[in-house]
Amino acid sequence: MAALLEVEGLTKAFGGLVAVSDMSLAVSPGEILGLIGPNGSGKTTLLNLIAGALRPDRGAIRMDGEDVTRLPNHLRVRKRINRTFQLVRMPPNLPAIVGVMAGVLYGAERKHYREAEHAAGEILAGLELASKAGHRLDQLTYIEQKRVELARALATGPRVLLLDEWLSGLSTGELEGGMAVVRKLAAQGIAVILVEHVMTAVRALCSRVVVMNAGSKIAEGPPDDVLRNAEVVRSYLGDDET
Amino acid sequence: MRVALVLVVLALLIAALAAVPWLVSDYGLGFMLNLMCYLVLTVAWALFSGTTRYVSLATAAFFGLGAYTVAMLIKVLPIYACFAVALGLGTLMALLVGLVTLRISGMFFVIFGFGLSELMRELLVWWEINKTHTMGRYVFVPFDTTMIYEHLLGLAVLVFAVGWWLKRSRLGLALLVIGDDETMARQAGINVPLAKVLIFVVSSVFMTVVGAVMAPRFGYLTPNVAFNPMISFTVVIMALLGGMQRLWGPLLGVIPLILLSEQLQVRFPFWYSVLLGVVFMVIVYFLPRGVTGLVEHALGLLREPAALPRGVAELVASVRARLVGQPTGGS
Repeated sequence: MAALLEVEGLTKAFGGLVAVSDMSLAVSPGEILGLIGPNGSGKTTLLNLIAGALRPDRGAIRMDGEDVTRLPNHLRVRKRINRTFQLVRMPPNLPAIVGVMAGVLYGAERKHYREAEHAAGEILAGLELASKAGHRLDQLTYIEQKRVELARALATGPRVLLLDEWLSGLSTGELEGGMAVVRKLAAQGIAVILVEHVMTAVRALCSRVVVMNAGSKIAEGPPDDVLRNAEVVRSYLGDDET
Repeated sequence: MRVALVLVVLALLIAALAAVPWLVSDYGLGFMLNLMCYLVLTVAWALFSGTTRYVSLATAAFFGLGAYTVAMLIKVLPIYACFAVALGLGTLMALLVGLVTLRISGMFFVIFGFGLSELMRELLVWWEINKTHTMGRYVFVPFDTTMIYEHLLGLAVLVFAVGWWLKRSRLGLALLVIGDDETMARQAGINVPLAKVLIFVVSSVFMTVVGAVMAPRFGYLTPNVAFNPMISFTVVIMALLGGMQRLWGPLLGVIPLILLSEQLQVRFPFWYSVLLGVVFMVIVYFLPRGVTGLVEHALGLLREPAALPRGVAELVASVRARLVGQPTGGS
């Protein structure tokens, strides 16, 4: 299948520190691409570059063949690229549904104000959060917060979804439920990039995995092959010389 | 049915307020005019600052711009043309200031607003002394206190209407979200700078037009009066006292503070600023959510009588039951 999102030669440096160096990857509709690597390897920076929170120094990002490298964050949302954050970001003092309504109103669909509450309610219901619509963030459990944030992302009608450790910190039972949600999104044709440390989830969900270390891609392929790769094991478990 | 009732009550209220100049003394009208002036300024301030949480001290800059535009042009233009020019200049300045400053955050914005009004004041003082050799300007027009009051009332109705609409519009929702979490707002697809500039312009234009309408009230206008920084501070305190969670919040701040400052000014003319300062500190310390927060707390207790002492709780519950039927237990 043709790639939906293509990233080519993306580079980003903060002062002298090259956080992401010459990264390329592509993801197709309905595919779940795993993005793994040790802490500080540049995974979140890469997500920020794709989502538009940061501008790359070099390289290109193409969505459905269209160059979106220079588009600001909110316009990439309208080009159907969205993400969740490693630490949940929802308005802390507003009912959960308000953040989701914002996505409905200002995302790719830009629905009318009168339809927004109904549409947001349905998205929340789809994630088993119907009864939580009026709750503030601090009145929700950890897993509910993560799902509410996903609801906000889905409200904008994404075709590419970047999940930054969305499955981390969950109990075994919650993990099963979370993985089912991700599978369902992919089945709807959404291209998912999954940044994750939970290897059971990566193995179970991803057909392909990209491994990053020190800002660069060091391996790519089916999860079982990649995780057997000596270099990957070394970058995770530590290098004798360092 | 309920909507119709509310509309009728509102229409009657506006009509009653419009009749005020023919019902009260000159002193009473002066008081009402002052109240109306600060009401519009405070609601306009809250439109922008209440939602985005940027504390603006630029109120005096826009008020002064409006007032001084009228003072400078009144000899050559009819008064409504002066108002129109003020409106145009206010829009322009708000656009410029908004585009430049709304990318900077918090404290810098506060200082910028204050600095802007002081800069305009000093520049105009310099200009008037060195170029036109005056200290100020006479604003003599057949635009009496009644006219000023009626125009301010019109602006008040308009600013409340804008606020009401904002609470039910996509822009209003966007501003709420921006105020709470800007990063998330962007990730929901909101054009954050655009939304901020839009509401800043709307808010500032109201302030400018209030200044323009108020110009004839002064008779003789100097830059020091038009750009008086006390205007900016008073508006912030009124908004804080009233509370900004509700549209009618500023009302609960403007009325008591106008009454209070009137009393203080008459009784303690020399200690006025100091006493007002103390009042401000007391408000911020004891009423962080303003009078609105206090009222809402009381209403919340009525809705959930369990939190009240036993006898009172039962009384409230029985009254409620009689008024609205089944007790629903909160909202």
